Amino acid sequence: MLRMQNLSKVYRTHMIETHALRGFDIHVKEGEFVAVTGPSGSGKTTFLNIAGLLEEFTGGEYWLDGVDVRGLEDDARSRLRNQKLGFIFQGFNLIPDLNLFDNVDVPLRYRGFGAAERKRRIEQALAQVGLASRMKHYPAELSGGQQQRVAIARALAGEPKVLLADEPTGNLDSQMARGVMELLEEINAGGTTILMVTHDPELAARAHRNVHIIDGHVSDLVHEAARGLAAAVASATPA
Amino acid sequence: MIGYYLSLGFRSLRRNPVLTALMVLTISVGVAASITMLTLLRGMSGDPIPQKSDRLFVPLIDNRPGDGAAATNPEPPDQLTMRDALALWESGKGLRGTPIYGLSPPIDSGRPDLPPFFSDGLAVGRDFFAMFDVPFVYGQSWTEEDDRRGSQVAVISRDLSVRVFGEGVNPVGQVVRAHDQEFQVIGVIDDWNPLPKFYRLVGSGSFDTSEDIFVPIRAAIAREFDVNGNVSCNSTPPAPGFRGLVEGECNWVQYWVELAEPGERQAYADHLDAYVGEQKALGRLEAPLNNRLYDVRQWLDAREVVSDDTRTSTWLSFGFLLVCLVNTVGLLLAKFSARPGEIGVRRALGASRGEIFRQYLLEAGVIGLVGAGVGIALTVGALAFIRDFNARVALLADLDLTMAAAAVLLSVASALIAGLLPTWRACQVTPALQLKSQ
Repeated sequence: MLRMQNLSKVYRTHMIETHALRGFDIHVKEGEFVAVTGPSGSGKTTFLNIAGLLEEFTGGEYWLDGVDVRGLEDDARSRLRNQKLGFIFQGFNLIPDLNLFDNVDVPLRYRGFGAAERKRRIEQALAQVGLASRMKHYPAELSGGQQQRVAIARALAGEPKVLLADEPTGNLDSQMARGVMELLEEINAGGTTILMVTHDPELAARAHRNVHIIDGHVSDLVHEAARGLAAAVASATPA
Repeated sequence: MIGYYLSLGFRSLRRNPVLTALMVLTISVGVAASITMLTLLRGMSGDPIPQKSDRLFVPLIDNRPGDGAAATNPEPPDQLTMRDALALWESGKGLRGTPIYGLSPPIDSGRPDLPPFFSDGLAVGRDFFAMFDVPFVYGQSWTEEDDRRGSQVAVISRDLSVRVFGEGVNPVGQVVRAHDQEFQVIGVIDDWNPLPKFYRLVGSGSFDTSEDIFVPIRAAIAREFDVNGNVSCNSTPPAPGFRGLVEGECNWVQYWVELAEPGERQAYADHLDAYVGEQKALGRLEAPLNNRLYDVRQWLDAREVVSDDTRTSTWLSFGFLLVCLVNTVGLLLAKFSARPGEIGVRRALGASRGEIFRQYLLEAGVIGLVGAGVGIALTVGALAFIRDFNARVALLADLDLTMAAAAVLLSVASALIAGLLPTWRACQVTPALQLKSQ
């Protein structure tokens, strides 16, 4: 579903070059729930932004649902983003002066659906997150957990292939976080691929697979552990 | 998507009401200033008789003494002598023709409740009404025979008819006393106020209302009705009083000719040259041949109906609009730069830069649309003030549908132009940066 090969991202100013990602390889299969972890500044968000076609990459390859996204024009990237991807942000990022219905409507407008189809999808998505009765409410009238549910509904309404979640529970208390996580699992069970950046090891543990990023590249924890064990054995063996 | 963006634009007006109000006010004041001046300029420079303005002509003849007057001012006098005007009229050249001179006859209704009063009038030929498409409510113009004999008949305005004979009365056949003479009313004209008042730009205001009474010119001459207008004599009249005016080299009569086709202009110019040649042979018209034949628009230009002051003021009003636009650019920058988060979200959800550009530009257009409404209201107020302040242009100071539509177009176009830079800046927002910082 999502494959990056030898991907690199360099931020340049006239003085400094920063390698945010280097030799980055990842392959996410359809229907997978992948948790992306790593320390601050490791490149998690850069990876998610590139995966979400919000940033361009410097080198390497990136295939999204069979489409080579390298060199795509803004229009094509936007269309692909709209059709294949859904976003959930830590800060919810709802538009404050639109009610819930209109917030969920935003990606569907860009998709070009007719009014009836949009209405059907919006009602279905809001019902899925348990907020069908509040579609005329504004974001400020909802709790944080409810706002995140609306953001999930907005991401789901377009029936994306991949859901990209950047610390989706970062601004929520534990009870609300649990609710959101259960919702994500339910969505994943329905076949949607999920890529979730998180700092929370408990949440990461609930994913099918963990990808750990350190210094801009994927660090295979299992492989690293095995290598550490081998080194320890070697040092203990008499010459 | 246009409808969606328009609805977002209207919704956005409420987002920051103070900023919105400032922008609307800025645009509307600029638009009101421009449309007010444009309305006046349009009224002044409009074609008052478009259906035949290229077939109506004012002939002018240079009858100044041959002492080099033409060297100081190449333009011939702006009126004719009565002799020349009558000669051109009687020549029968052209489809129609009429000499014109102004009168100011006292009108005596004979009613005890209405004391005598002065009115504006014209001594004209019968063709005057047909040439200038003057509409009649009752009756019609007098006959050719009336012209020849100088019959005491008159065509009066609807206003004069109502004033003297009462509302709803057909006065045709009744008598009106002007200059202590009885004139039989044979026609009443409907409201008719061509702007500018092209047929009488000399001796009358360019934007005055039309006259109240029209009598055959020979009747006016025979009864020595004094001229109400400009008189310019090149030499001492041969006789005192009105007779001297008629017979001397005094310019005080306008002559208009209507040609069947614009293409007949050259033939009429040749006729004019031939007439001047004849007069020279008779010992008149010493100055070198210096005729003019102006059509309506050329005549308006020659008489400088639209003054340089008016043109300058109009340009200044557009300069003011430009200043307003610059201010609006700043305000729109402030408004749009406060919304990078929304732009980032929309970009993440599938909006291309083009979509963001269209959305924000239309939002600026909506501000222009609201500005147009306020601007039209301000324009109506400004024109009302001008009407009260300056009676001379009162008839022009009226906002019609065309100018209201122009106000809407100008306002929306201005807002769109002002919105280009802020919208372009909005499109440059990096979504990834904004989404993380939200």
